[in-house]
Amino acid sequence: MEHVKLLIVGAGAAGLSAALSAWDAGCRDILLADRSAIPGGVLPQCIHRGFGLTAFGEELSGPEYTERLLAALAGTGVRLSLGTEVLSVSHDKAAVLSRRGCVSRVRFERLILASGCREKSIGALPVAGTRPAGIFTAGQAQEMINLRHQNPGREVLILGSGDLGMIMARRFSLEGKHVIAVLEQGETYGGMARNYHRCMEAYHIPLCCRMTVREIHGQGRISGVTAEHLDSGEREYIACDTLVTALGLIPERALVRELDASPWLSLAGNCCRVHDIVDSAASQAQRVGHEAGASLS
Amino acid sequence: MERFDAAVIGGGLLGCFAARELSRRKLDIALLEAREDVCTGISRANTAVVYPGYDHEPGTLKAEMTVRANAAFDRLCKELDVPFSRCGSLMLSFGPRADAVLRNKLQNGEANGVPGLRLLDAERVYAMEPGLAPGLRHALFSPTAGTVNPWQLGIAACENAVHNGVQLRLNTKVEALHRDAEGYLLETDRGSIRTRAVINCAGLAAHWVQELLFPPSVRIVPTAGDYLVLDKNSVGKPTHILEYEPEEKVKGLTVVPTVEGSLLLGPFERDNTLDYATTEGGLFWVREQASRLLPGLDLDGTIRSFAAVRPNPEQMDGRSIHSFCIEHPAERFWSLIGIKTPGLTCARELGQYVAAALARELHAEENKAFDPIRRAIPKAHVLSFDERRKLAAAEADYGEIICCCEDVTRAEVLEAIRRGACTVDGVKRRVGTGMGCCQGARCEQKIAALLSEALRMPESAVTKDGKGTERIYNGAC
Ligand SMILES: Cc1cc2nc3c(=O)[nH]c(=O)nc-3n(C[C@H](O)[C@H](O)[C@H](O)COP(=O)(O)OP(=O)(O)OC[C@H]3O[C@@H](n4cnc5c(N)ncnc54)[C@H](O)[C@@H]3O)c2cc1C
Ligand SMILES: Cc1cc2nc3c(=O)[nH]c(=O)nc-3n(C[C@H](O)[C@H](O)[C@H](O)COP(=O)(O)OP(=O)(O)OC[C@H]3O[C@@H](n4cnc5c(N)ncnc54)[C@H](O)[C@@H]3O)c2cc1C
Repeated sequence: MEHVKLLIVGAGAAGLSAALSAWDAGCRDILLADRSAIPGGVLPQCIHRGFGLTAFGEELSGPEYTERLLAALAGTGVRLSLGTEVLSVSHDKAAVLSRRGCVSRVRFERLILASGCREKSIGALPVAGTRPAGIFTAGQAQEMINLRHQNPGREVLILGSGDLGMIMARRFSLEGKHVIAVLEQGETYGGMARNYHRCMEAYHIPLCCRMTVREIHGQGRISGVTAEHLDSGEREYIACDTLVTALGLIPERALVRELDASPWLSLAGNCCRVHDIVDSAASQAQRVGHEAGASLS
Repeated sequence: MERFDAAVIGGGLLGCFAARELSRRKLDIALLEAREDVCTGISRANTAVVYPGYDHEPGTLKAEMTVRANAAFDRLCKELDVPFSRCGSLMLSFGPRADAVLRNKLQNGEANGVPGLRLLDAERVYAMEPGLAPGLRHALFSPTAGTVNPWQLGIAACENAVHNGVQLRLNTKVEALHRDAEGYLLETDRGSIRTRAVINCAGLAAHWVQELLFPPSVRIVPTAGDYLVLDKNSVGKPTHILEYEPEEKVKGLTVVPTVEGSLLLGPFERDNTLDYATTEGGLFWVREQASRLLPGLDLDGTIRSFAAVRPNPEQMDGRSIHSFCIEHPAERFWSLIGIKTPGLTCARELGQYVAAALARELHAEENKAFDPIRRAIPKAHVLSFDERRKLAAAEADYGEIICCCEDVTRAEVLEAIRRGACTVDGVKRRVGTGMGCCQGARCEQKIAALLSEALRMPESAVTKDGKGTERIYNGAC
């Protein structure tokens, strides 16, 4: 069985940062595994600027931020294994990894889980109606547009005004689509003020607060929703051909769900808690990486 | 023109089983399905329970068939390599009316020959299901009740039918019927077909198909039901099927721990509709009932809701029909109309029944080469580490994970496509992709790309669930 001192699950901003710090702290045996074929986690599909102001003193795009981390990683002996799913982690400090042509078991001394978040799906809400095509999570829509150059739709309604929802509102506008509105159940937008000004105001996209979606209409493709004004209880039909849901992020800890807190296990980045800003995810991951690396050097 | 001995109309559970059972005879058989895939109708949206048989009046065909079908279910699922969980069921009473219902069902069940039925007191029930709400009086425990994935069972029957020589014709809707001395002429949207005999299993449209040739004899009054699905990792899941029998005279909630590990809750029954849209009231009712029955159940684990449509058969004068409605309007023409619960449980028995009746009329010989065995698509995630390592080494695609929630590999997805999946949902029905907590947000894109590659079609033509549900916007709506 293969043996590594430090196994890191996830090569997003957090996993990459943790690996770099662990290396600097003296750990020379690090395996960094990510299911995706490209490193960086959510960063490669975030082609907008707004990353790295604290860490690098300039505003970078997601792909540029990833490049910086990868350039630093190239100078280390950290082994990066892409296209590699970590299937399970057990109490006896072993993990099962799976990639094309190879399923293997790896023993480790320390594990850093840097598996990020998943998006909450519409199925989690008590929204009635049909389940037609044309409903995407914000991350899905972002991947389609930015990485695959596919068109998710034209008349777009966005549910949820976190940073992802607002950034996608702007993205659709830039693509020449009509963003009907961003609906938000809270009193005001959920994300950062900076994103509200840059992504919503600047593009004249209406933000409808205290509103939510109650029912979805449409047979093949979505044709509209019934939305509710939460304060008055009034309802209105909003026609759309695309619904993008930005309902929030859930830390992805499926791998360690059945493990009790163990001294050999640490969480880094968004799987520890949701970080709005990549620099804060990265700096938390650096601390975790440094501590683990120092203990293994 | 194509000629067959028998044509089965409708590729739902019943049609697939009718075709499979017919293929035990030396006959040329066609299975005609209007849509792009089998099991997209009632057979994919129901409660998934394999009933023990205490619900029906002693002496009826339904009672007799259900008990027989239930007893044979392990063997059937073994032949067809479909997971079946005989988890047992508890019918729950919290008051005097329900107590009486339970006693009545026990009596029925005993008369029907349902094995192992027992009326349990509250203490025993809480030991079996500690999460149940306080106030329980009794439960009717039925150890033979179980659950199966309905569409996987139907797809397996279809694969086995094809393996035994049945010709599957998809995208083939029967639009007109004619009868002459030779037999029947079926006009479909893909040309005409001649056949000596017909089995009509067109589900919600079965009465309509029969009326293409015969005067109306049965009416269908559709009702709908709303369901919720909770993720397999939800806290507070019960381990038995629970059937709540309320004090009010309404249908109570059914809770099913599915073979996949998720939890199915429902249905909220509503009237007169053919609409597959869920209702707010229905979803609210299911949530409310669930938290009343299982206070510790974490409803935040909800991942999906769906609606089902139930075809209720009635006489033309409005009297409802309680027995299975098996019609025989003319020689060599059989219809299964308005087959609702327990149609899943009895799918094989019903298929056998009409196949046997038709074989007699056709004087068909036995097909000695009939092979009852079908093999499922090998699943990586059920294997031991060593088996999985060997499999991935032998077949690289078994190492590549496509759906990370449900741990489904590229090899499984490709095999699903090879076996007939042609939509994102078709892959889902065969190998379970997108059934987990992210509901396909992370794998849909990859599956669409694999479909496009394997079926040599542009990705813009890949649909979620058949025509009109293209994933990529094409401006058509
Ligand atoms: C749309 C969007 C816009 C944003 N905009 C900004 C911005 O403008 N400015 C800013 O500072 N921040 C922004 N952020 C926040 C920032 O990008 C994130 O906080 C940060 O990138 C999170 O990094 P992470 O490494 O924790 O998670 P992720 O980037 O999600 O990485 C997790 C990685 O783990 C892998 N993984 C998970 N489970 C497994 C497993 N079992 N096996 C193998 N691999 C696994 C995944 O494939 C993934 O690559 C934005 C985020 C999003 C989503
Ligand atoms: C809400 C609900 C819950 C249920 N729960 C249970 C349960 O827990 N246990 C149990 O045992 N049973 C249950 N049942 C019953 C069971 O699901 C059904 O009896 C069974 O699925 C019926 O299958 P089918 O083949 O008749 O219908 P379908 O699956 O609808 O198949 C009919 C097929 O015919 C095709 N078709 C229609 N018209 C034409 C045409 N003109 N030409 C060609 N093809 C055509 C359709 O496209 C469709 O694919 C439930 C039913 C419902 C509605």
